[in-house]
Amino acid sequence: MIRIEYQTQRLSLRFFMLMLVLFFFQTAFGLLLAAQHVDPALLAGVLNFNVIRAEHTNLAVLWILSGFIGTILFVGPLLSKRELAAPALIKFLFVALLAIVVWNVATQALAQTGVAGWWRGEPLLQEGLEYLEAGRIADVVILIGFAILCYVVLRTFPPLSQWNEIHWGLGIGVVALTLVWIFGMFFVERLDLQEYFRWYVVHYWVEGVWEVIHISLVGFLLVLMFRADIKSVGYAVFWGISLVWLSGLIGNAHHYFWIGTPEFWQFWGSLFSALEPLPLVFCFWHIYLDAHQDGKPIRNMPAFAFLLGSVVLEQVGAGILGFTMTFALTNVWSHGTWVTLSHAHLALFGTFGMLGIAAAYYAVPIMRGVAGFDPRLGKLAFWLVFTSMLGLGFAFAIGGTVQVFIYRTLGLDWFGGDVAPAMQFAKLLAPLFGTLFMVGVCLLAYDLLTLGLTKPAASARRAQEARALAVRTPSRWGRRLTGWEAGLWLLGLWIAGAVITLGLLSFNLPLVQQGHAALPYLMASIGYPGLFLITLLFVWRFLSSLEARTHVNTETSLAAATVAPSGAG
Amino acid sequence: MSCVEGEPCVEGRKRRRAVLALGLMAIIFLALSVVSFLDSRGQAVPETVAYAGHEAIAGKRVFQAFNCMGCHTLVGNGAYFAPDLTGLYDKVGPAWLEAFLPSAGAWPTGAAVQVQLADPEVAAEAGVTTLDEYRAKYPAAAERIERRSSHASTMPNLPLTRTEVRALIAWLKYTSSMNTEGWPPVPRVDGLSLRHAQPLPVAAAQTAAVAGTDAAVAADAAPSEEARGESLARDYGCVACHAADTRRLVGPGWGGIYGADVPLADGSIVQADDAYLVESIRAPDAQIVAGFTAGSMVSYAEILDAEQIAAIVAYIRSLGENAR
Repeated sequence: MIRIEYQTQRLSLRFFMLMLVLFFFQTAFGLLLAAQHVDPALLAGVLNFNVIRAEHTNLAVLWILSGFIGTILFVGPLLSKRELAAPALIKFLFVALLAIVVWNVATQALAQTGVAGWWRGEPLLQEGLEYLEAGRIADVVILIGFAILCYVVLRTFPPLSQWNEIHWGLGIGVVALTLVWIFGMFFVERLDLQEYFRWYVVHYWVEGVWEVIHISLVGFLLVLMFRADIKSVGYAVFWGISLVWLSGLIGNAHHYFWIGTPEFWQFWGSLFSALEPLPLVFCFWHIYLDAHQDGKPIRNMPAFAFLLGSVVLEQVGAGILGFTMTFALTNVWSHGTWVTLSHAHLALFGTFGMLGIAAAYYAVPIMRGVAGFDPRLGKLAFWLVFTSMLGLGFAFAIGGTVQVFIYRTLGLDWFGGDVAPAMQFAKLLAPLFGTLFMVGVCLLAYDLLTLGLTKPAASARRAQEARALAVRTPSRWGRRLTGWEAGLWLLGLWIAGAVITLGLLSFNLPLVQQGHAALPYLMASIGYPGLFLITLLFVWRFLSSLEARTHVNTETSLAAATVAPSGAG
Repeated sequence: MSCVEGEPCVEGRKRRRAVLALGLMAIIFLALSVVSFLDSRGQAVPETVAYAGHEAIAGKRVFQAFNCMGCHTLVGNGAYFAPDLTGLYDKVGPAWLEAFLPSAGAWPTGAAVQVQLADPEVAAEAGVTTLDEYRAKYPAAAERIERRSSHASTMPNLPLTRTEVRALIAWLKYTSSMNTEGWPPVPRVDGLSLRHAQPLPVAAAQTAAVAGTDAAVAADAAPSEEARGESLARDYGCVACHAADTRRLVGPGWGGIYGADVPLADGSIVQADDAYLVESIRAPDAQIVAGFTAGSMVSYAEILDAEQIAAIVAYIRSLGENAR
């Protein structure tokens, strides 16, 4: 019953599986980092913090890219109404990706002995720049990989005259992905110039390129999941992309406040990056509209939960937490502390990581020919990773606020003696939530890796059980979510964000600078828990209102679920 | 851009406007970028900065090769596991960094910093020659010596060579001279006077005084010469460059070296007996071991008296016996 329209879509499966494996190792490295924050002597000299951190950030980038590639390969034929071009090249791309992962994990360990592999002034093996730790050899192979992806995508797509917004978004996305990467491939002598170009890659990737790919893919997944009108989604995609670039192009200036570039960047960065949440609000609103347009039951709850998580964490992590620290007057305090970690984790994992997982949950059952699978494990995994990532964001934000006060306001710079002991509470929370997150990752990796591989009879029985459990009378919590209510939730999120912003601003007050931390601590302990609780409750409310639809006419929905989506574009 | 049927198609115009606005922004951004890196701004550049004959750019390569940014931050970017290094050179000065970097696992003592000042190049860079002057000129170094010395640090020992240490210091000298537009904010209050500083400098001084009394008591009990040598080696920063086992840090490891045959750079071979070891401490450049360069170690002839040198040699001898 379930069918794949184009055989080459199956090529995406291996990228999704690789994504899960890398995600597991990335989380394991993250857990080690959290443990070293608690006990810095742990593995010191054997596996130093900087090596583990390089693995953690690099694997994050690699598994997110693997998820993107998988998703693009899966939707590519649907968007183009024909098979993918050059399947042999795609197979090669996979092997190259695998090789580069192993190579890069190995070469990062060389930082411990200071081996960079200098050749003609360029570091061939590893170069110790945050997020761009890979050496030149890996850089070149990755560039070739991106070029292959561009070739495959552009060759698969229909002629330019037939492109809709999603074609444009993905087409521009993969080309820009390749071009922006080049800025990270040179050794720069000046620190200010090195940082200037490093943010070309890091900022323009996440806020220019990945965001564009994200918007396009979310748009198309909504089309697939809800049979949404591609024209209305296309409208949102167009304005989303336009707003991303109109705000994000100069918004990059928020990285140029303190790196040795002139003061005028503080004006441009504060102004334009304050506008960066606009496209995210747009995206947030659209997922509400699309999910509620027909009132039919959600056929694949885990996939939708992760898609919703992606859009909501984009709003909270990238939009609101990014906003709180984007003004020169707040950034001067938050810069270089744990406060940024909170934003980085929620934004990167939330926005881009969850999209890949959502796409995997959508595509894997179709490719494995599973007619209705038990969604319980997937939903449990979603709640585990979602809640514990919010918990991690809380730990980082609270630890960061303490760090700002001790390190910046009081000027105490003995990390082992003054700073770390003051942050002890937050430092203990991180491995705690990290462990919970790890459990979630294991569950979802197990679920997706084995989905459809168990005996059909057993899986059908479990799916039946799950359906039986799902049929229950909707409570008030599960009633239909109106636009007004969704707007109120969004307002609540932003009010909490305003409290956080004011809390960071309060570090400028003379009273605080004389050594009284009460005000910023109070604002942070209202703002951050408030923001994360509202986020949690909102997602719970949103999913409950959709779960309640299962109550209505379960059998029809199952029949509908088995039809692979078609007709897009 | 697709158009909805039955409505006038204005999408093309909208798209052109969006592209136009984007182009305008790109021009603004590029113009601001060009102005940012004009020479006339007077921003520090690494080409013009050197420390004791080592170039800042060489230091950048060491900084990247060891992925220092993976724990520290520089201009606030990097990991948040360890302190920001941007202005460190100006705060603690070159002699403290010279004492700290070769054996980062422990905070250097005042004596270890003093030893570095005996090197004329370091003294010239620091602008002072005595430890007291140094502490007055670099209060952050004084604070580190008072509160931290003899404590373990969070940083692992890195296999940095002498050249790499000096190149790193040159790099930090450059970053210290950069104008970062008022970041990080200057504290308005002396954090050390508040209860948040643990241990308080006063308390630390008291502990040190008590420890001193203990040491005096212990000295009355006449500790073995090896134990005295071990504590001297720690206080005077010897362990920054010499491991207690056979590992090579900046200098050769001391484990098993006593009585061993040592190949010299001139091809001859000498036995590392008492006389040779005393000579190596008093005049390190007199007999250079093969694989090492002259000038790596300062002369301790003016810093340690004969009795102290004898104690350190006794300690080295004990390490040799342990190794065998």
